[in-house]
Amino acid sequence: MSSAAWLPGSLFDNIDKFANSLGYQNAAIVMELSMIPWKSPEERDTFITSITGDDVKGGTEKNYIKNFRG
Amino acid sequence: MAQGGYRPTAPQNNTGVSAVGGAGSKDGQPNRYISGGTYGEGKALMQQQQGAAMAQAPAPTGGGSNPAPQMPELQTLTDNIGGKYSDVTDGGDFGSPVGSAAMPKNISADTRAAENDMMTRRYLPDLVHAASFPDAPDSFKRFVNYLASK
Repeated sequence: MSSAAWLPGSLFDNIDKFANSLGYQNAAIVMELSMIPWKSPEERDTFITSITGDDVKGGTEKNYIKNFRG
Repeated sequence: MAQGGYRPTAPQNNTGVSAVGGAGSKDGQPNRYISGGTYGEGKALMQQQQGAAMAQAPAPTGGGSNPAPQMPELQTLTDNIGGKYSDVTDGGDFGSPVGSAAMPKNISADTRAAENDMMTRRYLPDLVHAASFPDAPDSFKRFVNYLASK
């Protein structure tokens, strides 16, 4: 499973951010929003912030740093 | 030379035929002099026709035995119509003091349960697989556990 790296901006990363920012009970819309081809994680996070009025939740900074280095 | 007879190709346009006779008009059948009677009878019949105007329908005077119901004035969207609908902003979190907390639970509850279930059934295997990635964050695993427990 060499392709199992957790990359920022990937589908699963999008799911993680949307699910934890919008709420688990909105699983359907979480999936729909996660499938949007966001130009960058920053654009996605800006969108989440704009609709929630709060910081993006989910994930860890550790994951980003680790994957960026890898 | 013989004239007339059976002419199947003759024009059959009847649109110009009057319903009240050849000399009819919108005012009805015209008065006709009827001959053949005794002296003075034709004149009397003619005068009778002239004086026998059709009765006119009585004009509505109101106050009859079956009067039209009196409808209330039309309301606008923002009018207070009383009763249990005392305020159009009832149930909203603005205006009326009766906010969304007063709404039935099946209205304020999540109405996308069917979509959520469909998404869960469709993508849960892939999500579970992704949750097993070494770098998968705990927040993602919690979400997958939530879906799996549904």
